[in-house]
Amino acid sequence: MTTAEQTITKRKRFKHSFGYYFWHGLVFVWLTIMAAYAVMPIMWMFSTSLRVPSESFRFPPSFFPTSWKWSNWWEVLTSDIIKYPLFFINSVKIATLVTTSQLMLGSMAAFSFARLRYPGRSAIFFVFLATMMVPSQVTVIPRFIILRTFGMVDTHWALIIPGLVGAYGVFMLRQFFMTLPGELVEAARIDGAGFFRIYWRIMLPLIGPALSALGVFTFLGSWNNFFGGFLFLRSFDKLTLPVALVLLQGYMGEGSRAHVLAAIMMSIVPVMLVYLFAQRFILRGIALTGLKG
Amino acid sequence: MATATGILKPKRRESSMASIRREEMIAGYGFIAPAVLVLFVFMVVPIVGSLVLLLTDYSMLGEPSWVGLENIKRLGSDKRMWTCYRNSALITLGATAGNSIMGFSLAMAINRKMPKALRYLYRTALFFPVLTTTSSLALVWRFLLTKDRGIVNWALGQVGIAPISFLGDPRWAIRSVIIYDVWKACGYQMVLYLAGLQGIPESLYEAARIDGASGWKLTRHITLPLITPTAFFCITMATIGAFQIFDNAWVLTEGGPGDASRTIAIYIYETAFKHLELGYGCAIAFLLLLILISLTLLQLWGSKRWVYYD
Repeated sequence: MTTAEQTITKRKRFKHSFGYYFWHGLVFVWLTIMAAYAVMPIMWMFSTSLRVPSESFRFPPSFFPTSWKWSNWWEVLTSDIIKYPLFFINSVKIATLVTTSQLMLGSMAAFSFARLRYPGRSAIFFVFLATMMVPSQVTVIPRFIILRTFGMVDTHWALIIPGLVGAYGVFMLRQFFMTLPGELVEAARIDGAGFFRIYWRIMLPLIGPALSALGVFTFLGSWNNFFGGFLFLRSFDKLTLPVALVLLQGYMGEGSRAHVLAAIMMSIVPVMLVYLFAQRFILRGIALTGLKG
Repeated sequence: MATATGILKPKRRESSMASIRREEMIAGYGFIAPAVLVLFVFMVVPIVGSLVLLLTDYSMLGEPSWVGLENIKRLGSDKRMWTCYRNSALITLGATAGNSIMGFSLAMAINRKMPKALRYLYRTALFFPVLTTTSSLALVWRFLLTKDRGIVNWALGQVGIAPISFLGDPRWAIRSVIIYDVWKACGYQMVLYLAGLQGIPESLYEAARIDGASGWKLTRHITLPLITPTAFFCITMATIGAFQIFDNAWVLTEGGPGDASRTIAIYIYETAFKHLELGYGCAIAFLLLLILISLTLLQLWGSKRWVYYD
């Protein structure tokens, strides 16, 4: 039914054809199924982690908790064999240090690349970009040798120091700085402000959203990092959460599924919190990288 | 800076101009110094070091010994490596296709008219897997996919399908890695495609509707052409990422059974750190770099045909 016809005939009850509604309905059904599919493994993990361990294999499976045995979670937290809080703190420590450093050093470098002029600036920035294209497998072997030379294998420094600056962060923040008017810097210079002051007082506050997005990405990236810890950490006490979960899953509550899932569930909680509070930033940050690309 | 003194430039002003520039230079270099230092030590040096290392035989137990091009020659005859490359290629194909198609369709579906709260709910649910820890959720999927007591097989049983050994059957190992990867990552592409869709001006659709177009015609002639830049970005990024998959395959199957799901990233790790052949490991890694560069260039070249830039 074309719009011309609609204006001439009487106002119909339904605006669109049956075919339209049918298709619309199908799309919604499919969308709902997909959303459920996305969430189901996590729901299953949650509900099974609350089951009595001997029941965790029982069928039919339940996606909603059938029991509320929070003691499973408690047992994982207080177990002497697996020092869960220790792994948790290790992960938090590394993620926080890396994120803070990347935001600070990255924004300084980004500001310089975007708004300051000096010989060789383009060349150096180009090298930054080029390194982003290199797969991690190429750099990981020599990195191990370098860190081993400094005696940093099996310490947290092995995960922190290479992560102090990220080329991706510098790139993204530079894009943002370049969207700010150049006159700001010049006006401040004329007023006699030093460059650090300009950076700290003026530019940094203006890229708040970008900093938040980058901060969230960096934190999550470090929190979720499995391979780094897997490669560099050997001592039990040094393990980060992802590595500990994979290596020790047999020891949690004598290998009971419920306990393993409880442990994993607890490691996801910070992610959930960050997500709930910062969802807008995360999604906006991702969308912007896509548009620039 | 305008002055009233005219042509003559007093020396004082000249040196203050130069000193301003010098101050800017110092600030410029100073601000990038920490970043450049870190990147130099942990990116530039390793890349160059890799190039040098691949010409040696080094096991970290002794001194490196020079072997020239032998590592490179070995690449040609290393059957296991080519199997791993094949595995990675298949995973890349499946995962990239799956993620892109799912991401695009989900974005199209979510972009429709619906109450804001509902859209928020869908988006939250669909994006959540992206943020979780890959290795930890792989553990969960390992439970889901086991033959005897896994949920997926139970569900298949309810509809009368015989249990499949997702992680133990060599034919299914790669498929399982792909299935897990698509579940985990399609939300990310959905967000990218959504941003791309929202960048298409509504006025184009309105103009077309005035001309009488609707539904499929709108999609085919407006949406699809204008989403190609986003699609190109997504596919290129997904390809590079999928080739480097380690966590998924390692935690799900440890590369097994046999070498059925051993990705090239796993093989490089084992060569260098299990068999202690660091030189050869670098050679394999550099081959990966060359393959990725070639693929990206190929995609760039092909993009001229199908990507629509306005």
